[in-house]
Amino acid sequence: MTAEPRPGFVRPGFLRHGLFRTTAFRLTALHLALTLAGTALLAAIAWWATVGFATRQASEEIDRGMRVLGQSAALSGLRGVALSIEARLAADRAGVEYYLLAAPDGQRLVGNLASAPPELGWQRLDVSRAGGDVVPVLALGARLAGGATVFVGRDLSSVQALEQRLLAAAGWVGLGAVVIGLAGGLLIGRGIARRTAAMDAALAAVGAGDLGRRLPIAGRDDEFDRLSFRINAMLDRLGAVMAALRSVTDDIAHDLRTPLTRLRQRLDEVSRAATAAAAKEAAAAAEAECDAILDLFAALLRIAQVEAGAQRSAFARVDLSAVVESVAEVYAPAAEERGQVLSAGIAAGLAAVGDRALITQMLANLVENAIRHGRDGGHVRLLLSPLGEGAEVIIEDDGPGIPAEERERVFRRFHRLDAARATPGSGLGLALVRAVAALHGMTVTLEDAGTGPGPGPGPVPGPGPGPGLRVRVELPRVVD
Amino acid sequence: MLRILLVEDDAATAAYVKRGLAEAGHVVDHAADGQEGLFLATGGGHDVLVVDRMLPKLDGLSLVRALRAAGVMAPALFLTARAGVGDRVEGLDAGGDDYLAKPFAFAELVARINALGRRPAFQAEPTVLRLANLEMDLVRRTVTRAGQRIALQPREWRLLEFLLRRKGDVVTRTMLLEGVWDFHFDPQTSVVETHVSRLRAKLDKGFDRPLIHTVRGAGYVVRDDG
Repeated sequence: MTAEPRPGFVRPGFLRHGLFRTTAFRLTALHLALTLAGTALLAAIAWWATVGFATRQASEEIDRGMRVLGQSAALSGLRGVALSIEARLAADRAGVEYYLLAAPDGQRLVGNLASAPPELGWQRLDVSRAGGDVVPVLALGARLAGGATVFVGRDLSSVQALEQRLLAAAGWVGLGAVVIGLAGGLLIGRGIARRTAAMDAALAAVGAGDLGRRLPIAGRDDEFDRLSFRINAMLDRLGAVMAALRSVTDDIAHDLRTPLTRLRQRLDEVSRAATAAAAKEAAAAAEAECDAILDLFAALLRIAQVEAGAQRSAFARVDLSAVVESVAEVYAPAAEERGQVLSAGIAAGLAAVGDRALITQMLANLVENAIRHGRDGGHVRLLLSPLGEGAEVIIEDDGPGIPAEERERVFRRFHRLDAARATPGSGLGLALVRAVAALHGMTVTLEDAGTGPGPGPGPVPGPGPGPGLRVRVELPRVVD
Repeated sequence: MLRILLVEDDAATAAYVKRGLAEAGHVVDHAADGQEGLFLATGGGHDVLVVDRMLPKLDGLSLVRALRAAGVMAPALFLTARAGVGDRVEGLDAGGDDYLAKPFAFAELVARINALGRRPAFQAEPTVLRLANLEMDLVRRTVTRAGQRIALQPREWRLLEFLLRRKGDVVTRTMLLEGVWDFHFDPQTSVVETHVSRLRAKLDKGFDRPLIHTVRGAGYVVRDDG
């Protein structure tokens, strides 16, 4: 039987998903292990510097004592040794020295050890003292000439006490590290878990369709904030793209209704035509409507293609001067038809890397706009000049211009100014201009032709019905 | 009369093109996929190949590449629903000679096929192009009509040369845009019409026999009607 969680009780994420599967837990465990290893190393060093040192000192003293007794034995035999031991015991007020001189049969001759230990050499003894307590003693036993044995020892109880305190301290430090580390890990883990849970929830909401939802920013400018910021920026961008896509779809649906309605009317005229000649004429008109719709699709496709950046593979050196020259030449007669003068000021020898056909079309669209929306009998100027490391193309007319608040909107697909609705056009020309410019890293800005410096040669546009429009296309870089 | 191989998988389009070309006096063989197209084309004897880009079994680009490798040099025109700039370059790189995006006006297709079918005649480079009493000297760079010098601007010169090299053939607006101005898109303004009418005004001024004729719904043709 499994325990159902009580309703209303929601375990924190790091427990719900398993403590051991959180990054915070793994990091805490690793940190704890390293802390414990460090504590152990520290304790070992402390032990070596204190307990080890004291023990080595005791053994040196024992060695020295044994050498003295050995010399006494050599000079004056067992009697000398016994005297020596008695003198030293008398001098040992602290009561930490132990001696024993035993006959070859093991019987104690002199000294404060009860009996001879069975072994010679270095050893640790537990010696019972008068008060009944047992003290640890480090002892060295040796056999003298003649078979008697002698033992020299030192009380190690102070060393042992030090050792115990050291071990206890190390234990406490280790325990503290474990407790603090676990608590800290838990706290950090909960903090991280809370933030990832919030991100998780926000992303899940976005995934479920709440596209306006964004990740929370704690305001600490830490890695979570930076990550959230990036993801939010990405969501913003996706949102903008989707909104643009939606508006394009809406626009297409809306803007195709008009030509399709006209097409339907033409076909209606065909079926109701009284004479064959009338039917033929209506059919031709229907064909023309069809072509217009297909042109619209072609233009949309081209913009989409350019925006997708697929054309970059076709980039090559483009002779800008020649392109601008040819656009000016092609459109000069068209401007003349409207009584306009198209004047060109083209700096020679400027070239850039790009798609020649697209750059030509972009400039052609801009010049077409200038001719179409400029003043009858006015001026259109087309200028190409170097600008910094790059170049600048200016297309200027003296028509009504574009109000500042409309300048961003005219680049959208199908957007047409109210004043321009009467003139033919798809409303896609500037959308393509922007797409081509973006593909080439160019910037396109619109301004009143009446303002700012009017660079380059050619006649300054005369007074028109409005401020006129100046389009600046700036290329960041030219090549040789 | 040209012998044309049409490689097109869409039956409706194929029937439409076939009927139209037959009406224009051409003989059309039809292949419905790339492999059949390759088989028929290597049989030889075609003056022009009209090849759809997207075909079953063997796509149009590979088909033309294979034909060129096999030594079949008949001019090829690609038909395609893809109107991208890069696609056109790809088609020409693969050995195609011309490129036409669907949907197309039939007059456009016929004009381009005719232009391709006549191409070998231009290999002997003439130095003087003549039509009636019009003379265009390509070496001395002069144009005269009935001995009278006519001054042309560089673009007008190229336009006239383009038309005279195809005298008697219909030349469409898009052929002029591509051939004379290197414009691979359709301008919204009637630039071709204005240029042609200006050239026409210069050539026909003072003469009662026009040389440049407008073909309604198709394009232009230079021809001596006298």
